[in-house]
Amino acid sequence: MISLKDISSCFEGVIPAMMSTCSLEGEPNVTEISQVHLVDEKHVALSHQFFNKTQRNVRENPHATILLHAPVTYRLYRLQLRLDHSEAEGPLFDEMSARLQVIASHTGMLGVFKLRSADVYEVLSVEELAHFFLPADPRLDPPQPTTGVLDAMARELRILRAISDRVNRASCLEVLLEQVFQALDEQLGFHHSMVLLPDDRGHLVTTASHGYGSEGVGAEVPLGEGLIGTVAARRRPMRVAGVGAELRYWRTIRAELQHAGKAPAAPEIPLPGLPDAQAQLALPLLVGDRLVGVLALESREAMAFDAWTETFLNILANQIALGIDRASSAEEEPEATLEQPGPGAAPGTARRPRVFQLFRNDDCIFVDGEYLIRNIPAKILWKLLRAHAENGRTEFSNRELRLDDSLGLPELRDNLESRLILLRKRLEEKCPEVRIRPVRRGRFVLDVGCAVQLRESDSA
Amino acid sequence: MAPLDAALIEFLGSGVVLGAASRDDRLVPEVVRPAGIRVEPGGEEITLFLASAWAGPMLRNLESNRRLALVATNPQDNRSVQLKGAVVDVRPAREDERPLTDQYRARFARMLEPLGVPRAFVLRTQIWPATAVRFRVEAMFLQTPGPAAGQPFQAPLRTPGAPE
Repeated sequence: MISLKDISSCFEGVIPAMMSTCSLEGEPNVTEISQVHLVDEKHVALSHQFFNKTQRNVRENPHATILLHAPVTYRLYRLQLRLDHSEAEGPLFDEMSARLQVIASHTGMLGVFKLRSADVYEVLSVEELAHFFLPADPRLDPPQPTTGVLDAMARELRILRAISDRVNRASCLEVLLEQVFQALDEQLGFHHSMVLLPDDRGHLVTTASHGYGSEGVGAEVPLGEGLIGTVAARRRPMRVAGVGAELRYWRTIRAELQHAGKAPAAPEIPLPGLPDAQAQLALPLLVGDRLVGVLALESREAMAFDAWTETFLNILANQIALGIDRASSAEEEPEATLEQPGPGAAPGTARRPRVFQLFRNDDCIFVDGEYLIRNIPAKILWKLLRAHAENGRTEFSNRELRLDDSLGLPELRDNLESRLILLRKRLEEKCPEVRIRPVRRGRFVLDVGCAVQLRESDSA
Repeated sequence: MAPLDAALIEFLGSGVVLGAASRDDRLVPEVVRPAGIRVEPGGEEITLFLASAWAGPMLRNLESNRRLALVATNPQDNRSVQLKGAVVDVRPAREDERPLTDQYRARFARMLEPLGVPRAFVLRTQIWPATAVRFRVEAMFLQTPGPAAGQPFQAPLRTPGAPE
């Protein structure tokens, strides 16, 4: 019998499976199912979220047969199953339930349907339908280059070591993240990645990203929502393949609910980055049990992330987490080597003046009427801008920010460096005339290349 | 049972995903992907074309009992309907029916291409020689995901969310 492990890619949920069951009266039933979950070498699981004919059938006659396609090759497999038992709690149930809610939440359907049970089936036989395809035609099917497993592993270990070296050598958090993104892109071909760090309100804030242009930095994800929020809440990595098909499925249910007058009130939550992502992978960045962030990757290729990728990147995620942790508690190093200073902002005040407006009740700053930043990074910016306006100061230290109680930085693990990165990136995007430029570890310069007006009010 | 309406007949022939199920005498179900479909004049019977190379277990079931279920799903908008009925005839498909299977395969490839399935894969599926299985439709159910899924089908087959 073909081993289930050999066809593990069939269980990524990229291509819907076809499933047949039969009632005790002998009436067959057939339906498409979006994902078959691999449990172990002898079992698979199906989600039971609706009471339907399939569910009624297998509870009176446990036999089922499914057709499963492998992604990429489209090979077709026939599995004969027998319902073994249902689980309404435990790790398998939690995993399948979280997966269901991740996609549901992106279509505004979080909690609308609950997983009733994870139905575990014994796999009685696995057979490839070899005649499903015509014999291979070399004109249509060029031979695929094959690489030995050991070769591939050796290559990946080399990449891991190279990335690990870069992480270790990074002089500050911003450089560390840039190095990681660059390595993911150049060495592993993952072109879209981002790191989100938790803020003080339990949200995750996109602090750095790669492959998305300047948009997106500062975007927030509530804990527990969508893939990233769920990964942060559960502290477990998760990947979704076939995102497009899943979203279409849930949008259909949403439209049908609306048609029946039972529309869920929640709006759709846009996908975190690419509007047409086909695969997503998110990994929690953990130091011990403590969440210091989330690394999220996206791809337009449905099968970009497999189980091996997840394991491999988890090792990397642990290193990034330690790097973030180290940076968040790093002390000032006056003797450290000077960073390469970037080109300074144009001196003078020839450019149009920019108006910064602080809304004190919300700790929120707008620039020329457009939202810029909030919370502690907003308080930091206001302190810098006022010091610059009142006495022309341009150079500041992390230490003085840490000593300023009015900013509300936590005493331990204040994530100051990540807050400064976020502030810097938001300024780059919304007001490039005002820049924050690190000069050496623990010190930075405020470049103001235009006239600045500061306004304050309690609320908008 | 009212005959299939024109819109449903058009839907079935539009290259939608098809799945057909039967069962053996021990009530173990079987499932295949049909390689073609034709609604017979009158709209009460349907002929499915099953690739003989890999439809063996299905055909054996249909010899011993005549129960058959067919699901048709548009993968782009998830409109779906399931038809159930009794097989009235099983025979080798005739050469003059071959264009029907070619046509289904071409439309199926066009249906899947925008969803990322390369046309070459679909066009390489084995569809001939085929066995023609004609069945009389006895019941139809809506299978579009949502609160109405599983209810008896009432024409027309709506686009999800669209008014009656």
